Amino acid sequence: MSAQPPPELTAADYPLSIKHPELLRTPTGKPITALTMDAVVSGELSAEDLRIAPETLQLQAQLADASGRPQLAANFRRAAEMTAIPDTEVLAMYNALRPRAATAAQLGELADRLGGTYGAPVCAALVREAAEVYARRDLLARPTADVG
Amino acid sequence: MTTATTPERTLTLREIGPAGRGTRPDEVVIAVSPAFAGHFTKTIVDVPHAEVLRQVLAGIEEQGVTARVIQVFDTADLAAISHGGAKLSGSGIAVGILSRGTTMIHQKDLPRLSNLELFPQSPLLDPAVFRMIGSNAAQYAKGESPQPVPTRNDQMARPRWQAKAALLHLKEFECIQAGRPAVEVEPVFGRVGSRRLG
Amino acid sequence: MTSTKPRTSTRTEVLESRPVNLDGFVEEWPEKGLVAMESDFDPAPSVRVEDGRIVELDGKARADFDFMDTFIANHAIDVASAEECTAIPSVDIARMLIDPGVSRGQVLAVTRGLTPAKILDVVKLMNVVEIMQAMQKMRARRTPANQGHSTSARDNPVQVAVDAAEGALRGFAELETTLGVVRYAPLVAIALQVGGQVGRGGVLTQCALEEATELELGMRGITAYAETISIYGTESVFVDGDDTPWSKAFLASAYASRGIKMRFTSGTGSEVQMGNAEGKSMLYLEIRCILMAKGAGVQGLQNGSISCIGVPGAVPGGIRAVAAENLVASMVDLECASGNDQSFSHSSMRRTARLMPQLLPGTDFVCSGYSAVPNADNMFAGSNFDTEDYDDWNTIQRDLQVDGGLRHVREAEVLQVRNKAARALQALFAHLDLPPITDDEVEAATYADSSNDYPLRDVLSDLKGAQSVMERGITGLDLVRGLETTGFHDVAESLLSVLRQRVSGDLLQTSAVLTADFTPLSAINDVNDYAGPGTGYRLAGERWEELKKLRHVTSATNPETEVG
Repeated sequence: MSAQPPPELTAADYPLSIKHPELLRTPTGKPITALTMDAVVSGELSAEDLRIAPETLQLQAQLADASGRPQLAANFRRAAEMTAIPDTEVLAMYNALRPRAATAAQLGELADRLGGTYGAPVCAALVREAAEVYARRDLLARPTADVG
Repeated sequence: MTTATTPERTLTLREIGPAGRGTRPDEVVIAVSPAFAGHFTKTIVDVPHAEVLRQVLAGIEEQGVTARVIQVFDTADLAAISHGGAKLSGSGIAVGILSRGTTMIHQKDLPRLSNLELFPQSPLLDPAVFRMIGSNAAQYAKGESPQPVPTRNDQMARPRWQAKAALLHLKEFECIQAGRPAVEVEPVFGRVGSRRLG
Repeated sequence: MTSTKPRTSTRTEVLESRPVNLDGFVEEWPEKGLVAMESDFDPAPSVRVEDGRIVELDGKARADFDFMDTFIANHAIDVASAEECTAIPSVDIARMLIDPGVSRGQVLAVTRGLTPAKILDVVKLMNVVEIMQAMQKMRARRTPANQGHSTSARDNPVQVAVDAAEGALRGFAELETTLGVVRYAPLVAIALQVGGQVGRGGVLTQCALEEATELELGMRGITAYAETISIYGTESVFVDGDDTPWSKAFLASAYASRGIKMRFTSGTGSEVQMGNAEGKSMLYLEIRCILMAKGAGVQGLQNGSISCIGVPGAVPGGIRAVAAENLVASMVDLECASGNDQSFSHSSMRRTARLMPQLLPGTDFVCSGYSAVPNADNMFAGSNFDTEDYDDWNTIQRDLQVDGGLRHVREAEVLQVRNKAARALQALFAHLDLPPITDDEVEAATYADSSNDYPLRDVLSDLKGAQSVMERGITGLDLVRGLETTGFHDVAESLLSVLRQRVSGDLLQTSAVLTADFTPLSAINDVNDYAGPGTGYRLAGERWEELKKLRHVTSATNPETEVG
């Protein structure tokens, strides 16, 4: 229906599930009100329907900002970007950020993939920052070291 | 302090040379930490180090396997001590022991942070457990798959021992001699005289 | 022996036999960080900003920052106000914290710009009563709550389900489980979820496991939130734990991206326990953890020493430091699940005293794991309180008129939910073709205390069943469908309502819980408005009437009877 962006939310709009169910959709495009017992039993719903949509995370980020929580809001914005990344790849990316798990080049590729393939600039910036700190603190994988 | 009611065994570790790689496929290496039988003489629950070593040795010997004892000086990390010992062991099996009693059975082909058996709760390790640990290590050395030594759990070990364990850990770290290579030692057991004054 | 023991007095013998003397106490060793919160080796506060960037933090130049300093400087501290806030005399900030005339929001406007050493400098000025007074105002959610553990020494899913049900009925807003045998996790996590919803619809559940599996159970909707995401106060210990602030921040976003509530875990004593405190006090290092969590944008933190409680508990002033670390989490606007979750002392007096700084002011979760099973069944190695303490806890709430999140429930109601939880799990297991739960097990579960009271299960087939849950890709939706089609309609509805919440994201906000009517209650719509006597959360009205009830209260109308 309307393609216009939702209004800027304030703390009074929380909880969205009660105050603004009309703003909430599943990643598959169903309204939250479609998540009924009948739909579960008839098999209309899949696990994909019980995920959060990136738009919803952006709304929650607005609420976090409106409540004076900029770091929480930033976390929700990274999360919104990550909704597009498959579960296994999210875990692989997390593992790459562990100490001495990736080289500078590998972290660079990861950041590029986040920024490019997934359109996730905030996540990419976090990875680039990590790469810079890891280089300074000797936390990059050594290209020659055996993994074991 | 209370005096012991029975004469305690004493232990000195007589250095016999650099710790080398063993050739006998039927040996287990026992690798002890920097302060073992030196700065410290007993575990966190007062099991004398002499008794710890005697029991582990007895457990190994009862399986018909030989043992070599080495002392490590450049780390107090149990995984590093145990894995280092395993790499020197002819069978690839080692038992690593910290002064406070924490013990691990390791195998040279496993990743350092893995292990065959770990006994993290030092306050629960008594002489009988140390004997079983020796016996299991020997069975691994023979290529067998022994039942793991039953681990015990005591929820009140935390309030009683956690801080002392941390303190002992810090003290053992102070005994580290960076760069000093491990040595092979001969355990010399003795007894204190019965006229010890408390 | 030739030496004879010197004669001791009978009094000394009596004192020696007191349980408190089974606890361990050690001297401080500040050079190694074996000190609670007063150490000459902690840095002095300082901050300098250049070109919108923090270039000096607590006496260190940016070039010398370790990764904790870097992460905190880049993400946790409000750069615009840092110099101004850190310049405020510590005593003024400490007074703001306890002054009812200064609102929580006004305090947050200052704390957002403080460095770790400055925060330490502030709380060092406060005694334990002042810490409690400050906590009363700074707790993020107005209404306090509590969390329970439901585990089984035999990983028996039937026990986990019924004790979760009873715990939920008694008032826990969150329930946590973990395993002895990790492979049991899927069955036990399902049992916790089902039992929890039987006890009280809307209870949130979690299963503590290593990161990847914990996340997977959450993604599938078998659990509702996560908590065991550990962080540490020194770079070396953080790295020993195979993580960095960036990996953990990434993980925090991963949870949020699946709509799953999450908090980090840290606590005083972990660094010194691992031998790498870098000569800093336990509280200074914990404040670094708290600010790291803040910077990561995670909504909350479980702290209060947690599994290292034996370390601060053994040094002078250690429990004051633990109270202070809970306060610091709250005063930087994080949800605080405040410990009291590990066996702490042989002495009941000491156990109770350790609880007071959290129970009296109230925290977001007074215990981050009250054992809703007997401690012998507690797979977190025992909690500070367990099922044996339920009546004592309820009495203390009534004596002091404080809300610790629990209530007395009559036997008939307890038996009813235990029985229903066991039957619901029985039906669900049958529906999902998992190893059967017999009628004998249901009967035993209804009346049981500990895992010893249950028939033994066939562990091997349970483990096969657990594996099949993972292989078949069973999700929360399958649980809802199974419960609905086997006639447990209300339980199915409750679980579906919990799952629906992850689509809304409302539980991702700070300190969120779900009330019995499925209203998300968080620091946004339940703002802590404490402003002195007569304000803030007061135990009154219907809730107070509920807490007046105990197992035995003599009737005033007819003293020959008891009221129930």
